[in-house]
Amino acid sequence: MKEIPDKNILLFRSCLVSVEYPGVEASTKFVFDKLGVDYAISEKQTCCTGLGHYSDVFDQLSTSAIGARNFRIAKDLDRPNLVMMCATCYAINKKSVKLLNNKDELREKINNLFDENGLGHLKYEKDELKPTENIFHVVDILYNKIDEIPDKIKYDLSDYTIATHHGCHYCKVHYEDTVGGVRDPHILDDIIGACGCETIGWYDHKRATCGTGFRQRYSNPELSFSATADKMNAICDEDVDIMVHLCPNCHIQFDRYQHLIADREKRKFRAIHLNIAQFVALAMGGDLDKVIGAKAHTVPIDSVIKDLKEVEK
Amino acid sequence: MTTQKITDSPIDFAEDIILDVKNSKEDGVLKCVQCGMCTSTCPAARHSDYNPRDIIERVLEGDMTIMEDDNIWNCFYCYTCHSVCPVGNSVCEVNQILKQFAINNGIGYDKLYEYMGFADSYFTAAIGAIPEIFFEDIRRDVPGWWEFRQNLGDIRDELELNPPLMPPEEVIDEVSTILTITGFKDRIEKIRQSQEEE
Repeated sequence: MKEIPDKNILLFRSCLVSVEYPGVEASTKFVFDKLGVDYAISEKQTCCTGLGHYSDVFDQLSTSAIGARNFRIAKDLDRPNLVMMCATCYAINKKSVKLLNNKDELREKINNLFDENGLGHLKYEKDELKPTENIFHVVDILYNKIDEIPDKIKYDLSDYTIATHHGCHYCKVHYEDTVGGVRDPHILDDIIGACGCETIGWYDHKRATCGTGFRQRYSNPELSFSATADKMNAICDEDVDIMVHLCPNCHIQFDRYQHLIADREKRKFRAIHLNIAQFVALAMGGDLDKVIGAKAHTVPIDSVIKDLKEVEK
Repeated sequence: MTTQKITDSPIDFAEDIILDVKNSKEDGVLKCVQCGMCTSTCPAARHSDYNPRDIIERVLEGDMTIMEDDNIWNCFYCYTCHSVCPVGNSVCEVNQILKQFAINNGIGYDKLYEYMGFADSYFTAAIGAIPEIFFEDIRRDVPGWWEFRQNLGDIRDELELNPPLMPPEEVIDEVSTILTITGFKDRIEKIRQSQEEE
């Protein structure tokens, strides 16, 4: 397996996490602290452009120039390992590092623009960061610490029926770097296993998109929700209690729109939706309001998790 | 009925795609054997008239009217085709390149207009927030969302999140400068003007 760091990490803030599920950030920090991961967050780091990029509003030059600025911030803090909470930030930043290293014309154009406009301090040098060695998702960091997770578990969540949804922009974009399978993704199932729980594993449509499709959710909702319904019906057939995610965009699609799609499908969907960091934080004893951020959820977490029982040591 | 324009050198269209900065598959598009694996795994093909195999066929024929075909806007950018193609092509990337070609030719501005909020929030807050134009739909479709958003500050305080949501002013200024010198600001103004004039 590739080398995964546990120090010199810049935890890369995500716009969707910040404004939709801020408990994902709090939970990631809680779990990283428990596992002794060395990280920092910077107020200077800005959005990766992902939502605008995949809505076709941003061109690649602009996205990669913003990437170069964020990479400079990480390097200046001596935190060259960027760790993303959002699958889209992960895919966007990994692609920008690849392009800035390999497409000399693009890198030189961006550096010249920086030089000519008083932003010379942001220039990117070829191979300053490496896509495989410096760009990670939180799940990579958790997977690397998988043997240390069982000792930190406080609550037993093994009575719940659990399924996983692996975000496309983690698994399928830079598949050469994906840990834990691309065609049958299981990195989330493995991390949940370290929390003492067994997931349902494979299910129909397991590797399919959440259906957000960026512009599809807003401009083409029928198409978007038809794709989501495929997956929601599949997890309903398996009587799933908890669906575990790794991307805030997928999380929105399932948690925010579950009611709407249930009405559309004339079925009762009852799963709650947790990010993997929230799931691990909950199992490690994180408070529902102060760490998990339960108040941000549309499907109430306590509609499924009514009480927590401690693990027998 | 749309007119099919076949260029004198059909392969030039594919060559332009290969040379685009976004292309990560070298000459993958030329290796397409029309097996249809992309279409058989595609969520947009499953639920609409979008057909990734057909897109590559038309590209290889030099059929530039593909840029004006509304169906190309149905791609989810889920990269499923990209991850399963047996010859190392990526219709998902080709699709993104086709849309940028379209935009550079003044096509598809109506499709982008609703998303101008993504650009605006960058200049005002260096954040890629969901455009406010969609808030009314979200309020209608998602029970409790609007109330949650009104309480976001309190929820973030309870989670003791630091640094705060908004970056400092000098950061926003720097990001605004970058997006001006790359030509992004002009592109956005051009799209906005074209739609507001209509």
